[in-house]
Amino acid sequence: MAKRVAIDIGGTFTDFVGLDEATGEVSLEKALTTPVNFAEGVIHTIRKSGVDPREIRQFVHGTTVVINALTERKGAKTALITTQGFRDVLEIQRANRTDMYNLFYQKPKPFVPRRFRFEVRERLDYKGEVLQPLTEEDVVVAVEACKRAGVEAIGVCYIHAYSNHAHEQRTREIIEELYPEASVTLSHEITQEWREYERTNTTVLNAYVQPAAELYLSTLDEELSKMGASGTKYAMQSNGGTTTFAQAQRVPIHLVESGPVGGVIGASVVAEAVGEKNVISFDMGGTTAKVSLIDQGRLKINTDYYLEKTSIWAGYPVKIAVLDIAEVGAGGGSIAWIDQGGALNVGPRSSGADPGPACYNLGGTEPTVTDANLLTGRLSPDYFLGGQMKLSVDRAERAVRKIAEAFELPILEAALGIIRLANANMQAALERVSIERGYDPREFALVASGGAGALHGATLARDLHMRKVIVPRAPGHFSAWGMLMTNLRHDFIRTRLMPCNPSTLPEIAAAFSELEEEARGTFRQESFPLDRVWVERFLDLRYKGQEHTVRTPVHEDVLENKHQFGRLIEKFHELHEQAYSFRQDDPVEIVNFHVVGWGEVDKPAFKPLEEEGRSLDRASKGERPVHFQDVGTVDSKVYERNLLPPHVVIDGPAVVEEPACTTIVCPGQQVTVDRFGNLVITEVSK
Amino acid sequence: MTVKRTIDPFTVEVIKRALISAAEQMFVAFGRTSKSSVIYEVLDYGCAVTDANARMIAQANGIPPFIGVLTDAVKEVLYKFGLDGIGEGDVVILNDPYMGGATHQNDVVLVMPVFYEGHPIMFAASKGHWNDIGGKDPGSWSPDATEIYQEGLQFPAVKLFENGKEIQGIVDILTRNIRIPEMILGDMRAQAASLQVAANRITQICDKYGLDTVLESIEIYLEQGKQEALEELKGLPKGEFTAQEYIDDDGLGGDPVLVKVKVTITDDEFIVDYTGTGKTCRGPINAPLSALISTAKFAYKAVVSPHGSSNEGLFAPLKVIVPEDTVFNPKRPAPISTYWESDSYAGDVVWKALADVISERITAGHFLSVCGTTVSGIDDQSGEWFFSVEPNAGGWGAGKGKDGESGLVCSGDGETYVLSIEVAETRYPFIVDQFALNIVDGGHGQWRGGYGLVKDYRITNSKAFVTASFGRNKFPPWGLADGMLGTPNAVEVRTADGNVEQRGRFSKEELMAGDVVRFITGMGGGYGDPMKRDPQAVLDDVLDGYITPEIARKVYGVAVVGDPAGIDEAETRRLRE
Repeated sequence: MAKRVAIDIGGTFTDFVGLDEATGEVSLEKALTTPVNFAEGVIHTIRKSGVDPREIRQFVHGTTVVINALTERKGAKTALITTQGFRDVLEIQRANRTDMYNLFYQKPKPFVPRRFRFEVRERLDYKGEVLQPLTEEDVVVAVEACKRAGVEAIGVCYIHAYSNHAHEQRTREIIEELYPEASVTLSHEITQEWREYERTNTTVLNAYVQPAAELYLSTLDEELSKMGASGTKYAMQSNGGTTTFAQAQRVPIHLVESGPVGGVIGASVVAEAVGEKNVISFDMGGTTAKVSLIDQGRLKINTDYYLEKTSIWAGYPVKIAVLDIAEVGAGGGSIAWIDQGGALNVGPRSSGADPGPACYNLGGTEPTVTDANLLTGRLSPDYFLGGQMKLSVDRAERAVRKIAEAFELPILEAALGIIRLANANMQAALERVSIERGYDPREFALVASGGAGALHGATLARDLHMRKVIVPRAPGHFSAWGMLMTNLRHDFIRTRLMPCNPSTLPEIAAAFSELEEEARGTFRQESFPLDRVWVERFLDLRYKGQEHTVRTPVHEDVLENKHQFGRLIEKFHELHEQAYSFRQDDPVEIVNFHVVGWGEVDKPAFKPLEEEGRSLDRASKGERPVHFQDVGTVDSKVYERNLLPPHVVIDGPAVVEEPACTTIVCPGQQVTVDRFGNLVITEVSK
Repeated sequence: MTVKRTIDPFTVEVIKRALISAAEQMFVAFGRTSKSSVIYEVLDYGCAVTDANARMIAQANGIPPFIGVLTDAVKEVLYKFGLDGIGEGDVVILNDPYMGGATHQNDVVLVMPVFYEGHPIMFAASKGHWNDIGGKDPGSWSPDATEIYQEGLQFPAVKLFENGKEIQGIVDILTRNIRIPEMILGDMRAQAASLQVAANRITQICDKYGLDTVLESIEIYLEQGKQEALEELKGLPKGEFTAQEYIDDDGLGGDPVLVKVKVTITDDEFIVDYTGTGKTCRGPINAPLSALISTAKFAYKAVVSPHGSSNEGLFAPLKVIVPEDTVFNPKRPAPISTYWESDSYAGDVVWKALADVISERITAGHFLSVCGTTVSGIDDQSGEWFFSVEPNAGGWGAGKGKDGESGLVCSGDGETYVLSIEVAETRYPFIVDQFALNIVDGGHGQWRGGYGLVKDYRITNSKAFVTASFGRNKFPPWGLADGMLGTPNAVEVRTADGNVEQRGRFSKEELMAGDVVRFITGMGGGYGDPMKRDPQAVLDDVLDGYITPEIARKVYGVAVVGDPAGIDEAETRRLRE
């Protein structure tokens, strides 16, 4: 009875999803997250689930250990070794004033203070030619100083090192000889894209989190083995693929967005199963909502990820492949408040899990989105977490009354107002990933997940004229479920500026095969069978003289046959036009080579929803009044989701409840249960 | 008269956000479709939505001095054509620096009325830097212009589109008079199309909520903006506050130019009076009135509500007084194309006047100048022209409770990035020998100023030209509350044979292979008495190499001794007595 298990540690809950490989049976579990000892939380959750650890053939883990070490500044004492003349790059950054009207603006503080930033004489040009050889005595001096100061991790980043690795490699040898206790990160092993500040910062952040990540993953590995779970263990990476624990310990920075990607992968898997090519994943939890666009079944990756960036703060660039996710501070716990001008705002401050929304009755007094959902009849006071937790209407009313009194409005109107404002914030995020990038939301379906996604999805889809809303099964565990459906993935990106035309084809092919070899090498290191590995190739192309590039897929035949080359250029023109609205006749230039190495993991087939034991009658739980904008209060039928049979059609307004989630269907919409048990909401044609 | 309806506050808020997003989507669309890096990378443009009376409803800016400037352009359009004289699908072009809404000729404003059910209800407007608009020099702006006719074509609010169709005559004139017409006309059409993006969004909003509700919501939230500003004014000290500064020269090497301000704050007014400021200059550093007023708006917003919404209501309490025929309100045909060289002082003196009394929002003086540079030439390898054009970052002033920021772009720049060295070396024939903090002796205080930068470009081409304009070369940034002065900006040419020349401005200076040009930006001013600086912070500064143990002792009265370095407490007490 081989099992596959995913554990996703979130801010509030640790989610467990187990899958029986033979039967396709899914088991779910939720436990409170244990911030003091995450590993213990994982073990505890497995025990709670009742799964026999010895049956776990494959274990996938979404972890916050890296992001926590970064945001709480609890990483290692870190030093930087860099080229002479450039140790301040980490402090100068790009010099932008993101909060442009604020004279008290404070730049992000470097993770390595100036005293631990060491310069050595060496210099490469952009082609990788040595202008000045590495001065080894300088490295020795720097390493001795690190040793004296008790530095735990050293990042090495030389100017243009992406084009020649020799100086960095030699530097590692010297460090290992003189100070083997230090953990070492070389820039070219993390990122090979140009731009010194971004590369240096990425290198330093990896060094900073490495000791903590190493300790965590090795401890967890041991603990799991001790309880008999000897199957393969994978960590979820920000690029939407998994990697082995061993590889993750070498480059832990790839785990920085380990958690949020699960929902996006889940959305792509569901979309594929139901034959939808274009979907937007919408994952709304307690503090934030995350949206990501999937175009023609393809997850979007970018390497412009920033840690802690906001509209008024520059944040820290991390040049690794990260799924393109827009996040907005709108979740169930987001607090409604009135500003100095007298206008209402919702979020980004959240009541979190403790004290939580007022209706949790755990001491929270601020009005939140969850309180508003309760008062408008969207949530049932008696069926939260399947009834495990009773919600207090009275407390919610008391909290929302603050808003109602300030504007002299009935409580119900105030509650609806809070929901509308939270929706406006989420709509802005949806527009950001679609309209602002040249996609028309009307051509997309919304996959709503997370604890609160299905409460808001139908209204958002209606306002953006999206085709439909899909609420997958177990939306509250969707992120962990997505992780079970993931292949191994490694991204290799390297800057090499050159013209893109048939005459450079041999160089292009050579550059790709070098990266592909690197990709296979990584899988070999992971002991992953190479016959299950395949690669995808991309070029970041631009018109000569332009700055922005377009990631363009490269088919194998283009590399093998120069008569096919025109297809690549045409594809670039097409994608450029979609993203930037124009095409040019100018020569095309390559900036980056990008190889994605995939390691195929067996995935169970989707299990159709069984009809037995389910019927509309059994599912029906009566009616309750729900308050909708423009329509007012309407009696809405309420159903238990787990008793609804496939293919049933229900007219809105309706409420579909399950223990960890509630789905709202607006008047004028209808919902059907598809053969896999997904809820599909569409507008009734007029 | 329409019947007064009450609208619930959530609708007001949702409509407000939707209108802001109309301006933002216009901003994104223009950036996304432009072919010029000055637009999509430097973000030298701004977009706004106004109501039919030219009141600002929403704005999205890449750089702060564009705040509020577009409303004046809409006013000019209304003044010239009247609401009846402009139809659906019309677009007006305006860049005459002596008219409202303009800055220099390169910054071209397009204004389009937004119609709903046959009536003009709002305006969409944007201002973008065009790479060339004609005139005597490539790129149009020139540091040695002596009259405006040398600085490019002037469009005094004329129609560019009528009823959705381009007016061929204007396009023909542009094609003949600008240097890279194909690229610029492409950008012009992108700019015009982005106005339509806003118009479409506004139409959708009106369809959804009804025109009356939208218009009434605007009234409500402009009033909220005003209330917010008045609320903030309540917390500010009342009275008259004055300051003055000197600009290094008049742009052509003449005498320093005086800048004076008197700021008067009352319960409901914030008056900025520049009376006493120097006369119109010979060189192109004059700031057109509209540019000056929006810089005053920026200075005001930074003091009153840095994070508040940018709409007409916020600016209701502000009044700006600028006498005619001064550097801040020059007389035609004075040249203006490098107006930022004086314009930035308009904000600096307001902050200087108020810094002592509003210490929670204002920091000491900063390096202030854009420190713009151009390194150009014909590349030996490719035989093609290269141009490396960039602003430089420098040191910012300290504030109460915080050290100044090191290496940050000046107040006139915003979300503006400095060039990456690795990218620069790939594109241009020079090697960067250092890009580092400029560790100098200055800006001391209880909280010290931030450091400027030093950047060395070693030319590897047989020949190259450097043009650089670094203001604040003679008059360093001011300190605050007994904090010390910052340090000046400078450009240094160091030839391969050992000559060194340091100045504030270079114009097309010829360099040979092996010569180095060093760009130096200054430190920001300090805040408070250095003797009161936390000794631990002084020790940290020594450990980080920002200051020497000698400075720690002499200026800060902290004795740093030993290895590893520590504080000699007794000696420190003695030094500080």
